[in-house]
Amino acid sequence: MTLLEAREPRYRHHAGGPEAVAGASIAVARGEVVGVIGPNAAGKSTLARLCSGLLTPQQGSVSLQGEPIANLSRRERARRVAFLPQHPPHDLSFTAREVALMGRAPHLGLWALEGPRDFERAHAGLREMDALDLADRPVSQLSGGERQRVFLARAFAQEAAVLVLDEPTAALDLAHQVLLVSALRRRAREGGGALLVLHDLALAGAACDRLVLLDRGRVVAEGPPAVVLRPAVLSPVYGTEVEVVANPATGQPLVAPRIPR
Amino acid sequence: MRRSAAARAALAVVVLIPVVGLAAIVGLSTGAGALSLRDALHGREPDATVLFRLRVPRVLLAAEVGAALSVAGVALQALLRNPLADPFVFGLSGGAAIGIAVVTVASGSAIGAAAASAASFAGVLPTQLAAVAGAMAAALLVFTLGRARGALDPARALLTGIVFNSFASALVLSVEAVLRPDQMQAVSLWLAGTLGYEAMPLLAGAGLALVVPVLVLLALAGRLNLLSLGDEGAAALGVDVGRTRLFAFFAASAAVGIAVAFTGLVGFVGLIVPHAVRLLTGPDHRVVLPASALGGAAFLVLADALARVLFRGLGAEPPVGAVTAIVGAPLFVMLMRSRQ
Repeated sequence: MTLLEAREPRYRHHAGGPEAVAGASIAVARGEVVGVIGPNAAGKSTLARLCSGLLTPQQGSVSLQGEPIANLSRRERARRVAFLPQHPPHDLSFTAREVALMGRAPHLGLWALEGPRDFERAHAGLREMDALDLADRPVSQLSGGERQRVFLARAFAQEAAVLVLDEPTAALDLAHQVLLVSALRRRAREGGGALLVLHDLALAGAACDRLVLLDRGRVVAEGPPAVVLRPAVLSPVYGTEVEVVANPATGQPLVAPRIPR
Repeated sequence: MRRSAAARAALAVVVLIPVVGLAAIVGLSTGAGALSLRDALHGREPDATVLFRLRVPRVLLAAEVGAALSVAGVALQALLRNPLADPFVFGLSGGAAIGIAVVTVASGSAIGAAAASAASFAGVLPTQLAAVAGAMAAALLVFTLGRARGALDPARALLTGIVFNSFASALVLSVEAVLRPDQMQAVSLWLAGTLGYEAMPLLAGAGLALVVPVLVLLALAGRLNLLSLGDEGAAALGVDVGRTRLFAFFAASAAVGIAVAFTGLVGFVGLIVPHAVRLLTGPDHRVVLPASALGGAAFLVLADALARVLFRGLGAEPPVGAVTAIVGAPLFVMLMRSRQ
């Protein structure tokens, strides 16, 4: 079953401006972790917002679990897809636990009061991201990486079938990158799915089942990491020479730019 | 804070209700003359009349206005995502001042006098009516001008409100030039915020009318929390950001309108009470809103009592709006520094 599908979505941020997304179709099936890669201004973040219903495509359509996103209520949409922006707010006086609990909002009633199950899910999310010991600290006092883990915990607590995460690893150290990828893979095995916008191509190759390479709002390559992460595919799109070698331990493709010195 | 929001809100209410009660006792037992509460409660005159005709309505009014302004302050700070927002930032104070000034000038003319007597006949004072109308018109104007790309832009709305307030005070200054001294005094007293003595049925009506915006804001409290994640963060969690802002804005404006109608512009309460409450309870609006309603009620009752005590010797009392700032500012700074 397809958890998320965008069919030829098109989106301009300003009337008369360039198309940020120009028909880049993408799908996430149950059990799949899909990576979106591409140079700056390729339309990755806009595509992520279209996929999570924060922007409405001017042409084309997006559906969640087979249901067009336009037919879903906001809350129902938020129960099906969890979105984490690239830059979550940093000046929150709420504690990490309170932020994780915010992920429960689409499941709460009129007065938005959480029950024991909501606390359980929030704590599970924090534990999964190694952030349980931060629970009582205000988010404004955390480091960038700690804060990112708290917001990932919030996305997990939302219990949506598919996670759309924009640059989720940018602030994370290596150990927590591995932790995040393992958590996403575990969720995929249990029937969930994820769409990740990534800049780190080596991580994209190791973490994802499938990669979608965007350039100027269009899909220019798509497939398993070994197919997309090739110098002949990447170099023209990124506009710089790249080398790809196989990780001697895992065989996964490692991408490195050739930097003249 | 491992307890649920409901438990923390209940705790805050249970702690604050005795505080409001205490403030009310202080408010009832201070005034221009000595009063024996025991005599008054046994119906002995003149104490009974002083208590039930003067002090009870006064304390009730202070409590209602304090609660209304504080709740509105919480809502506006949340929906503008700005800690400096207060109930009068949406141009409400400027609009009300224009309304008052216009009515005061017009009451000198024949048409103005006729309109005034018609309004008085309907049971309301023309000044109050003009103030509320002016405040609401200004709020609507700022809410409309503060929009960008079809959504309220917090920075733009805040700036529009401030600019409008400056425009309005310049206008009022110009109008004041043509007023007689007694008219001018009435206008400036009202602008400073003064608690008077209102009839009990009117106070009961205002109390009931305040329940609606407070309930609306309580129902929005969870969504106001999510707004702190930014418009996009809130929308991603299923919040209709535009509608939440609209409802919170109108609920807050209604609460401010009720307060303004009775007392004029009592400043500072809507700014300091929510901040003081947040320092003690944390930022969760499901706790901050009910706690600010009670805290605001207690604060204004006490400020009013203090105004009467401090200036008893002079045979006059300063407007309560001045006392809230004189007492509130140092208290707030102390609380803020002790919590760092």
